[in-house]
Amino acid sequence: MASVTYENVYKRFGDMVAVDNLNIHVDDKEFLVLVGPSGCGKTTALRLLAGLEEISSGAIKIADRVVNDVAPKDRDIAMVFQSYALYPHLSIYDNMAFGLKLRKTPKEEIKRRVTEAAEVLGIQDLLTRKPRQLSGGQRQRVAVGRAIVREPKVFLFDEPLSNLDAKLRVQMRAEISKLHQRLQTTFIYVTHDQTEAMTMATRIAVINKGKLQQIDTPQNLYDHPGNLFVAGFIGSPAMNFFPGKLRKDNGRLVVDAGDFVVPIPEKKAGPYKAHADKNITFGIRPENIHDENFVPLNIDVEKVAVKVDVTELMGNEIFLYLISGKNTFVARVDPRSSLRVGQQAHVMFDMDNFHIFDAETEETIR
Amino acid sequence: MATTSMQLSREKRKAVFRKVSLPYLYLLPAFAVMGVITFYPLIYQVIISFTDFQTKDLLLQLASPELKKVGVQNYVDIITGGLPVQNFEFFRVLIYNIWWALTNVMVHVPAGVLIAVLLNTQGLWGKRIYRAIFVLPVVVPPIVVGTVWKNIFDEQYGAMNQFLTLLVHLFGQIDPVRIRWLQEYSPPIPWLLPNGPLTLAYYAMMIANFWLGWPFMTLVATGALQSIPKDLYEAASIDGASGAQQFWNITVPLLRPVMIPAAVYGFTLSFNLFNFVYFMSGGGPARSTEILVTFAFDLIRNLRLYGVAAAFSVIIFFVALVVFLITNRITRATESYTEA
Repeated sequence: MASVTYENVYKRFGDMVAVDNLNIHVDDKEFLVLVGPSGCGKTTALRLLAGLEEISSGAIKIADRVVNDVAPKDRDIAMVFQSYALYPHLSIYDNMAFGLKLRKTPKEEIKRRVTEAAEVLGIQDLLTRKPRQLSGGQRQRVAVGRAIVREPKVFLFDEPLSNLDAKLRVQMRAEISKLHQRLQTTFIYVTHDQTEAMTMATRIAVINKGKLQQIDTPQNLYDHPGNLFVAGFIGSPAMNFFPGKLRKDNGRLVVDAGDFVVPIPEKKAGPYKAHADKNITFGIRPENIHDENFVPLNIDVEKVAVKVDVTELMGNEIFLYLISGKNTFVARVDPRSSLRVGQQAHVMFDMDNFHIFDAETEETIR
Repeated sequence: MATTSMQLSREKRKAVFRKVSLPYLYLLPAFAVMGVITFYPLIYQVIISFTDFQTKDLLLQLASPELKKVGVQNYVDIITGGLPVQNFEFFRVLIYNIWWALTNVMVHVPAGVLIAVLLNTQGLWGKRIYRAIFVLPVVVPPIVVGTVWKNIFDEQYGAMNQFLTLLVHLFGQIDPVRIRWLQEYSPPIPWLLPNGPLTLAYYAMMIANFWLGWPFMTLVATGALQSIPKDLYEAASIDGASGAQQFWNITVPLLRPVMIPAAVYGFTLSFNLFNFVYFMSGGGPARSTEILVTFAFDLIRNLRLYGVAAAFSVIIFFVALVVFLITNRITRATESYTEA
């Protein structure tokens, strides 16, 4: 039960800057997910908090106590590793009890906590087994159990689900969320999977190249990405980007993407007026591109001519891979759509939901 | 119809025969070579162990008219001490032999592991150089090692006594140290192995064989250490384990499945360490450091008792078999912890 703060944290490995001026404040009982592509520094950030790496400069606080020089064991944290890191020579019970034994917890107390955690995770029957006799999912539970019994102030998860198969991953995702609600403790969770981040987090911190890109609730990140990287990283399939220009056309502001021109509705044009005649990147999510025959009511749409390259039927929707001049992009359309491969057609861009980024700074213009 | 089916079955039988016999055909060359160099001498040795085979029979071998069958007399003589050999009691030598092998391993394994752990320290400079150096004793022939260390422990001009002389000079002693490392018979710690004298030569050889033995154990332990995932230490450090606790709770148990077979191997190696023992002490003084294999060799080299030596070798074979069965059990009992 504690807040966590990164203050101007740097971590350098030789010339390489792994964590670049990180500033994050995590509230007590929050579920923060650090997400980013591999090698972006998110795991390093977590390891700094765990005390497995020393920070180069800055400060890390747990419950308002600076822990820069505090040994991992005295930080009152527990960590679940990607590899689970179960002690292969110890039984599951002893694996979970290890930390408590080292802390000279009374035997009955150890037994009570281990049995309780095992019940929560549904691994009561496995306590006498060795890790190698367990499946991946079971080992994962044990790794979580080992963290729970310690009753730490902060739980750290380092890509705990990446070694599981897809189905199990979905199931464990829900269980970890449930665990967070049950334990009411601060969770800090590292993943490269934006779906995991979206589904579990109370807030997400998107990191790229060691820098914090944006930190916000999942919905806000999705709806209002702060820059091009966040916009492209959050959401699946990813947002479509079109390099282009903002220009004035007959007094109306339009996006000129070369192969198509779409006017910006007057009610949304406000922030863009100052950027007329500038190079921009126009972004629109696949679900905001519609088959012209199945356009939702009451939205502003603009027609764009396309050629259908590939169709992927998902059952409840269809992914269309479209070509417009030199741009290729994806649309997520109504399953009743009759568009077929090779067909020339029109799609409708929802002009109530688009994003425009400065081509130079890659920041969102708003 | 009948003929075709019979032909068919003959064809089929041929195919089956070819299929079954082919592997044996491949094995034949190996078996032929092994038969000549392994099985033939083995059987021959068992046969002459029941005779009084001596120098006189060397020319005609088993066809020699003077060769007498003596039944199990050779075996009885060896075990009851009926041989015309001084200072030889079979069970004393056997127990010394086991003691020698056991104490060597008990020193080599912990020392090897300790050195490996120290060399595995993060940020240690010149790791590769140390690792190259400590392979040296492994590749130097034991004969050379035995001879060099014999000279080191020489009473008059050996490096050990000279070094000790230098040392006692620092404390004002004038007389040079003249310890008779390889000749002194009275044991320095009489109670250590009650049934036989553990002479100074034993300790000298322990020191020399330590030089010979630890690098192998370090080599094995280094490899094993590097296969222990770093995660485990990190998890343990978060769980609250100090460096020493990590060593005892992770390093030691995870090295065990590798080090026990290595220890077993080291035991059998020391148990039969013929060239080293033969060249360093020659089994002396008064056969106090004699091991079974050096004694067997002595039976032929000095006493020319081929029949007795053959019987002795058969006994060594059975001793080795027992040692092998026990160690094999120990090895199999230590399952590997590798995750499936």
